[in-house]
Amino acid sequence: MSLPDLFRTSWRGASANKLRAVLTMLGIIIGVASVIAMLALGNGARAAVESRFRSLGANQVQISEAMSFVDGKIEQAGEILSYEDGLLMPDHVELVNRVGMSVGSSGKLRYGRATLDMSFQGVTASALESIVSSGQVQPVNWIEGESFTISDLIVDGRFFTASEVLENAPVCVIGYQTSTDLFGGDNPVGQTIWVNRSRCEVIGVMVELESVDESLRYQVNPNLTLFMPISTAIDLLYEEEPSVAITAFVSDETRMDEAKVQIKEYLRERHKIEPDVDGEYLDDFNLTTRKDILGAQQEAANTFALLLAAMAVVSLIVGGIGIMNVMLVSVTERTREVGVRMAVGARPLDIILQFLLEAILISVGGGVLGVVVGILSIPLAASLNQGLALLEPASIPLALIVAVVVGVLFGIYPAMRAARLDPIEALRYE
Amino acid sequence: MSESAKTIIRTVGLTRDYQMGNVILKALRGVELTVREGDFIALMGASGSGKSTLLSLLGLLDRATSGEYFLEDVEVSSLTRNELAAIRGRRIGFVFQNFNLLPRFSAWENVALPLTYRKGEFGVEEQRKRALESLTRVGLDRRAGHQPMELSGGERQRVAIARALVTQPAVILADEPTGNLDSITGREIMSLLDGLHAEGKTIVIVTHDASIAQHASRICTMRDGILTEGGMTHVSA
Repeated sequence: MSLPDLFRTSWRGASANKLRAVLTMLGIIIGVASVIAMLALGNGARAAVESRFRSLGANQVQISEAMSFVDGKIEQAGEILSYEDGLLMPDHVELVNRVGMSVGSSGKLRYGRATLDMSFQGVTASALESIVSSGQVQPVNWIEGESFTISDLIVDGRFFTASEVLENAPVCVIGYQTSTDLFGGDNPVGQTIWVNRSRCEVIGVMVELESVDESLRYQVNPNLTLFMPISTAIDLLYEEEPSVAITAFVSDETRMDEAKVQIKEYLRERHKIEPDVDGEYLDDFNLTTRKDILGAQQEAANTFALLLAAMAVVSLIVGGIGIMNVMLVSVTERTREVGVRMAVGARPLDIILQFLLEAILISVGGGVLGVVVGILSIPLAASLNQGLALLEPASIPLALIVAVVVGVLFGIYPAMRAARLDPIEALRYE
Repeated sequence: MSESAKTIIRTVGLTRDYQMGNVILKALRGVELTVREGDFIALMGASGSGKSTLLSLLGLLDRATSGEYFLEDVEVSSLTRNELAAIRGRRIGFVFQNFNLLPRFSAWENVALPLTYRKGEFGVEEQRKRALESLTRVGLDRRAGHQPMELSGGERQRVAIARALVTQPAVILADEPTGNLDSITGREIMSLLDGLHAEGKTIVIVTHDASIAQHASRICTMRDGILTEGGMTHVSA
């Protein structure tokens, strides 16, 4: 039988009982749709993680304080990570050539009669460099794909220097919206503002920024900010010394593991951490590199993939069994048709191909509908997962290939049963 | 029919046994039959006499237990299922008592069915053209687009005859073609078969109705698996 004749015949058979065909497809539809939606969730989560940790360069070690559970509460595991821990690190750790530090606080900002409730950032002089390398924000209306430098981030004045950080200089750089909210159209540079109860001179204004990721533009406002030297922030905003976040820059990124060991030794010495009876150290800090994050992410992705594979296999097997069941019923119902076809010259292979193609058409029909349902369900999945769901393009051809394979696997047995029928018995079948 | 006419069918000592538990049922016992081009043969006999079994063997739907069967001088007993299917599709036309039309297919599609198994020899348009020619021959070209459910019994059997004719077979095998029809419609169908015979078609018809058998040029009678013709009984040694 020629291919067009085969398709025409199988299509006629598969579409003869439309309700039954659609009900048979349900298993495949649900299976494929859930795979598409789940892959989209995985893809969205991965994209979010990648976006969040893009700022961590290959030569950086993120140092944060460790937390522990005590009586059901989260508490600090030991000493805080102090400003001094970070400040002295380049002098004591061979492989660390500089550090970036930050500390966050919030309070009132006042100029004349205008007051703003907002968050403040105490940072080191390399903060602008971190903003550029993170790739998370860009100047508004920036040409897509074009790179920008730290000088593109300041619209008026300048950012503070490393010596101003060391000297606890009472200076600050404000965000674009902070500037317009507080000063209207006036130039803020050189003006003195009140940060809580302390005076601070505005030395620069940031350019208007927006999130590179369009989906985050309405969630995060990068323009309502105030940056001041971390030392100044600690002096002015805290009664007790706060814990800071430290990023250590390693001079040789091929020696990251070695650098981590050196940082650990340095912090253990400063925090006076001794090994316990088993020789284990109970560190009060965590070290994270890009490799650690990617490794953990890969592990999570693998676990997720295994779960998805199990779900997909179960739902597709159920769908496949449904197809096999309906095809067996169809072969029985059409026994006489098989006899007639054999009498007029159909070979066993022609009969096999006819029924196999019918099974594949039903399965692929289910696959196509499953892809549509899966894509339509992505917004729902996203709403249940903090907006994190992105269609994985490869999942569409994958789903259709899987549908064909299911059709072949579960259609071959009924098709072979049809082809093995005795033509005389088949022609007499009532 | 002259003795010099081409031999279409020749069987030599054809037997067909069925195993029924411990019992062997002999459905055919050494049947010797020769059908020449242009013959119109009626196979008569009581129910269970073996006439339908013989027709199935002649139509290559079944294999003989022993003996030889030559179809157009080709010994077909040892051919594979695929080879038998190919010969069935090209050289044999079937007409069944219950028509055996495919319900979801139109009259012309039913008629064209044997052409679809000719490995792409005929495109859809060619299939339709040939089917319409065949339907015209049986006087049903105006009903080509109708499905079997929309046709009367007589019309359905005409469609089945058109299907048997569409491949221009060497022989038409008809199993009780009027069995499901009233007497008037039955006569119309026999008149159609007479016309085909007059055109030179070779026809073998199974019937238990003597008035139907009268249309044939030769009458063979089956009894307990033994074929008798013209008062002679052909049984191999």
